[in-house]
Parts: sequence; C-alpha cells; structure tokens
Amino acid sequence: MRRRKIAPLVASAVGVLLALLLPQIGSDYYLYLFALVFTNVVLAASLRPSLTCGQLNIGHSGFMSIGAYTSALLAKNLGFPFEISLLCGALLAAIVALAIGYPALRLRGVYFAMVTVAFVEVIRLVAQIWVPLTHGMSGLSGIPKPSILGMTLTTKTSQYYLALFLMLAILLVLWKLESSRLGLIWKSIGMADNLAQSLGVNIAKHKLLAFAIGCFFAGVAGAFYAHFIRFLFPPEFGFLMATNILVYNFVGGRGHFAGPIVGAIFLSLLSEPFRGSPYETIFFSIAMLMTILFLPGGLITLPAKLGGLMWRRRASAPSPVA
Amino acid sequence: MTASLLVQSAVIGLSIGSIYILMALGLTLMFGMMHIINFAHGAVYMLGAFVIYYVFFQGGAPYFAAFVGAMLLLGIFGYLVERGIYRPIKGGIEPTLVALLALSTFLEAAGYPVFGQLDKHVPPVFAGTRNVLGVMLSNERLVIIPIAAALVAGLYLFITKTKIGAAMRAIEQDKEAAALQGVNVHVINGLAFAIGFALAAASGALIAPIFKLDPMMGDQPLLKAFIIIILGGLGSIPGAILGGLILGLIDSTVATALGAEPAFLLSFVFIILLLLFRPTGLFGHAPP
Amino acid sequence: MPLLEGRNLSKHFGGLAAVNGLDLTVETGEIVGLIGPNGAGKTTCFNLLSGFLRPTSGSVGFAGEDITGRRPHQIVACGLVRTFQLATLFQELTALENVLLGLHLHSRMGLRQVLFSRRVFPPDEVSLSHEVLEFTGLASHADQLARNLPHGYQRVLGIAMALAARPRLLLLDEPVTGMNLSESAQVMSLIKKIRDGGTTILLVEHNMKAVMGTCDRIVVLNFGRKLAEGTPAVVSTSAEVIEAYLGAGLHHA
Repeated sequence: MRRRKIAPLVASAVGVLLALLLPQIGSDYYLYLFALVFTNVVLAASLRPSLTCGQLNIGHSGFMSIGAYTSALLAKNLGFPFEISLLCGALLAAIVALAIGYPALRLRGVYFAMVTVAFVEVIRLVAQIWVPLTHGMSGLSGIPKPSILGMTLTTKTSQYYLALFLMLAILLVLWKLESSRLGLIWKSIGMADNLAQSLGVNIAKHKLLAFAIGCFFAGVAGAFYAHFIRFLFPPEFGFLMATNILVYNFVGGRGHFAGPIVGAIFLSLLSEPFRGSPYETIFFSIAMLMTILFLPGGLITLPAKLGGLMWRRRASAPSPVA
Repeated sequence: MTASLLVQSAVIGLSIGSIYILMALGLTLMFGMMHIINFAHGAVYMLGAFVIYYVFFQGGAPYFAAFVGAMLLLGIFGYLVERGIYRPIKGGIEPTLVALLALSTFLEAAGYPVFGQLDKHVPPVFAGTRNVLGVMLSNERLVIIPIAAALVAGLYLFITKTKIGAAMRAIEQDKEAAALQGVNVHVINGLAFAIGFALAAASGALIAPIFKLDPMMGDQPLLKAFIIIILGGLGSIPGAILGGLILGLIDSTVATALGAEPAFLLSFVFIILLLLFRPTGLFGHAPP
Repeated sequence: MPLLEGRNLSKHFGGLAAVNGLDLTVETGEIVGLIGPNGAGKTTCFNLLSGFLRPTSGSVGFAGEDITGRRPHQIVACGLVRTFQLATLFQELTALENVLLGLHLHSRMGLRQVLFSRRVFPPDEVSLSHEVLEFTGLASHADQLARNLPHGYQRVLGIAMALAARPRLLLLDEPVTGMNLSESAQVMSLIKKIRDGGTTILLVEHNMKAVMGTCDRIVVLNFGRKLAEGTPAVVSTSAEVIEAYLGAGLHHA
C-alpha cells in the first residue's frame, strides 16, 4: 500500500519540477507548446466529474468556447481586466451548463450524448452567425494579452507560468473534490445510479453539480486560450475538439484521477511533431483505437500491467477506500 | 417565394432528403440493434463518393458498376469493422462510440495524403435538365430520388421478408432471447454494419456528381443524419424515412430563405428541444 | 395508524393502467407480502411507493406524512428503503465496501463536511458495516468482490445495503426469486429477524412457499387492482386467487 502511493507522488513532483524549470531549458516554442498542453489537461480533467457520474459529454468544447469568447469580448470591447473577464467567462459557461444541464441530465446514455453534440454545434453556429459580435468566420482578433493586477504578461515565459499556475490550481481543486465525499457520491452515481438513489443520493443535484463544475473550468481554459492565442475561430471549438477531450479521458484511463492528465499530455505531445499536417490526426486516431482495443483501462493501467499484480484491480476500479 | 421556386425547393428537398434518408437508415438500424451511434458513418459516405471518383471517373467503369462496387466494398468494410472493432470491445457503449470516432477521424485524416489536397469533382452522370411541373431541374438530382427509393424499398423488403431481416428485428427487440432462439448475434450484427455502411456509401456515391469531394465532406451529412434519427425516433426505420423527408424539405426551403448556417442552427436547437421533451421522436422506442 | 398507506393509487402508461385504484396499508411491525401473476403491477406498485415513479393519481402516506411525488432520495430520508429485483450492486467493490458505501451515502452531511472531509471511512462506520454483514450472514464474504459473489449472496448483499440505510420500512423486491429451497429458507428467516429487530417489511414475491410461511398478511394483485387480502390461510383458499393463478402459482415450491 505504501509503495503504491509513493510512485505516483514522486512522478507528479518530478513533473511539476520539470514544468517549473522549463523556461530555463526550453525555447519559446516549448513554452508555447506546453501552455497549450496544460490547457488540454484542464479540459480533460474538467470533463472527468461528468464522466465519473456516468454522463457521456461530447460537448465540452462548447463551454470552452463560451468562456473564450466572453472573456475575449469583455476584455477587448469593454476593457475588463483579465482576471475579471476570465471569471465572467467561466461563470457564464457554468450558468449555461446549469441551464442546459437541468433538463438534459434526466436523459440517459446516448440521448444525453446527442444533446451535447447538438449543443456544441449550436454554440459554434451562433459564433459563426453572430458576426457583429464575434466576427464570425473571419475570426476574432486583437484580444488583449493576459494581465495580473494590471501588469500585462507580455513574455511567453510569464504566460507559460500563468498556464502552469492555473492548471495546478484547477487540478488541486478537482482532486480535492474527487477525494472528498462528493467525489464518492459521484462515483456511486456512475457505478449504479438507481442504487445510489435508493440509498438516499439526490442524483439530479449531484449530476448537475459535476456538470456545472466541469464546465466552469472548461470556461477558464477557454478564457486563458483566448488571451494566449489572441485569435478565436468558431470551428476550432466544434465537435472535433469535443471528441478530442473525450478521447484524452478514454485513452488516459477513466478509472483514475491522473487518467485525463496522462491522456492529454501523451496525445497532445504525440500529435505535436505532426502539427498542421494530416499525419497529426492520423497518429492521434490510431493511438485512440489501439488504446481502446488493447488497453481498455487506459494508459494509466500500463504500469500496473507491466508491473505487479495487486495494482490491477486498484488501478482499474474506482475504489472508495482510500 | 414564387410557385416555381417552391416546386424547385420541394424537389431539391426531396432529392437531398433521399440522401439523408439513406444515411439515417443505416444509423438507425445500427442503433436499434446495437444501441450505438456510428460516428464513422460520415467517413463511409465520403469513401463511397471517392470510390466513384476513382472507379468511375478515373477508371472509366460504368457508373452503376462503380455504384454497386462502392456499396459492396464498403459493406465488406463494415462487416470487418464489426469483427475487428465492435466485437472485441464486447459491447461497451462508450468505448464503442469512442472507437468509431477514432475510426472516423483516421479515415478523414488519411484521406488527405491518400487522395491529395485538392478538391475533386466528378462530372455529371446524367447530364442535362428536365422540365418538372414547369421548373427546370437537373437530371442528376432527379435521378437520386428513384435510386434512393429503390434502396429503401429493398431494405424494407429485406427487413420484413427475409430470415436475416427477421433475425435483425429479433435482436432489436431482445438480444438474449434472439440468441437463445439460435440467432448468431455476431454475424447478424456484422451484417447490420455491412448494410449500414453500404447505404452510407450509396449516399456518397449518389452525391459524388453533384458536390465537390473532400475528405471532410461526411461531417455535415452525419450531423444531419443525427438530426433525422432523433426526429424520427432512434431505431425506427419509418421514422428515419419521414424524418429525412422533413429535414430535406426544411433544409431546402429554410436554407434558401435564411441561409445554410441559420437553418443548421435552427435544426440543432430543434433537436435539443426534441430530446428534452420528446426523446422518442416521431416513432421511436421508449428510452431506457 | 398504518406506517405505509397507498390510497387509490393509479399509474397509467399511455392507455394501459399498470396500477388501478389500489389501496394498500402496512402496519408497523408487519411483514406484508404482495403477490400476483406476472404483469399484475407489483413492481410498478413498488416503484410508486418508493418514488421511482410518479402516480397518475392517488397518494402515498408514510408515518402520517404525505410523500406522494417525492423523489427517491427524499423518501429514503424518511425511512422507506427499497431493494431491486436484479442484483443492483456496486459490482467492482467488495461486499464490505458496498455496505460501507450504503451507510456512508445515507448519512447526511453539511456542504462543508462534504467538500472538506477526507475519504477515509470513520471507524464507527466500518464496524457498523461489519455488524450488518454479520447480521445478514455475509461476514465471511466481506472482502469478496460483489460480482464474484454467488447469486444468492448478491441478493442478500442488496438487503444488507438497504439495512445500512436504517429503514423503518423495507421494500424487498423479489428477495428469493431464483433461489433454491435452503437459500430461500435462510433469506426468509433473515427477513423475520429484520422484522423482529424493529423494521416493518413489505415484500414482492413469486415464491409461494416463502410468502405463505413468512408473511403476516398477504395482498394479491391482478391487473393492477387488489384481488384479495388477508392472512396466508385465507388467501390461499380464496377462490378468486386460485382462479387468477389458474392453479399454477400455488404449486410452486
């Protein structure tokens, strides 16, 4: 038991250390790359609460889009400071999530998934059609850089640290939630929601909470992205990105908190050498298929499969006993 | 809108609707039997179109030979997908959805290096126009209607009159009971995949002489097919037909009036409302 | 005053009335059995009483309170707990973990505790769970995965989890269906033990021998209506009941 807990802890510590040191070792290109990887990690990890509750959500990128456009427009057109516009973007994403989640989460399985697919397309089309506001397909440019307490973060290094900080903070919150009683309730809903209900769990409320919290953080990721890339183009946040986020979770592993983190990092980096060319997507999709077929528990089960026996059950089953 | 414009819209709507129906039929058949949404359907549609490009246009084969060839080839591919992807996953719905998504992504991305970056065109097979109710319409679009109708009729007869069709209906109702009755569920599922893929290929093959070809061309028809099967009710074949006709008509009339994007937006909003308040659609089975 | 009271309950699905104007009472301390041919509406009735379905008309009262239309988790909080026909368990967890989770989920906590509590189960919950497993005869299987348990034990585990929710009234959905003679006898004696411990019981069953031997009172449903009601002796000799079953059911072992 002791030994099992140390390895992931050490790995995480090393990872964080490397991340902190990256500006010393790597060029601006790497800072740019990893800032985007961190954004993907947040997106993947924030989808996890919904997936834990058993809701297949293929619309997460829609909420990212809401956060991105809201923050961008508030900062660019109304001069809101970055912190405020980011918060507003995330809040609006959460509010929309509550509005659509309240009726939609009653639906089971495929039906809920279809609503999310339709939703992400609705958001994309709204962004494309509402040209006076979003500049539609021409794209929204001239988004201000991020700033902290009035100081603009002009260098890639400072922006990279912002991304790192945001990611770590969000992961910490998500981890706390997952390892609390709330997370346990979510897991029980995902495992057998009828049973959870008959044991006194208000599944409607908890599913909605998981959904809204996840969408809030997707909004944060979107807002950061908007001020980092400084250009927004509606089709970017469409069905394809939503499925990518889902895939990060599946490939990384759904049974463990680190699953989406591993999945997002692995797949983002894997596709990087091929960025822009179709080979990026080809490798991405092959990785997806291979993992689903041969490693159904996800990448996170790889150490277990390669290593000892006792890990096998623990790594792939959500065990509430800490 | 003048009368002739209305007629034109209606016929074009019927024509486009027929394409959507073929896509939707495959989707709804697969959903009814296996409770999965085949996200790879759009990619298969695209492949059907490209088969026409290479076999008919580049290869010089007769159109109908290429058409049948596309259906056969992609039908076999469908069967292999069931064997190689669906079956090993042992029916878990979410991994299956994601795997089919992966397949779709792969096929579309691979299209670029394989087929080249430039858009392709297939020349019209049935050139010329015809006067229908006082309006000039392209033969190409018109001929889609009877071909699609023939395929739909063929499917209907297959499902209702053949043993295999009966087996499919049995699996749709109760998989375990069907298995106990001696139905080889795996093979029949494979055939469902094959038929679904073949129909998607047929839609692509029919559309090839009309629209330009590119590897991502299947995305929109896929989404439209989603809308149809929800409208018609997941798993319902008559629903898919009716839904396809309705969407085709709405598409051509609303889209002409408001533009393609707002029409698309409206149909998605409509779908969301439908799912929230009447998820069974027009004819579908009750949600679990 | 009855502990549980269903008054004029009806549930319509489209044109079909699965339950039609049913009056049902359960007094504190009773074991009441709900029987009837297939399709008589027993499971629907259960779903209505436990809040999983909303009645089309009629009302449900529990301990004097009107609980009609309340959601399942609210009804559980009042002390009315149900089990499920199929072995609905947390399959990937051990028997002990299942019961622990049952206990844990049921205990109410404020928002602050929910967010900031650590996910280590307090020792009193753990020992209570062991007690429940002892009580239901599952102590030797505590560390086995739920899905590896033999079918009979899975059903008992379902009951154990329901017990962990500290019910005043327990709705048991087909507790012994599919079990052999000795298994069902064991479970029925467990049910009596539960009643003797202070929990009132309403159960649905097909197994006539089990029902006749355990219940204080039996209610017979047919086509969503109450056909007959009374002690086992009365009901088993009632002409209408025998007719409804066409004699087949009463010969089941």
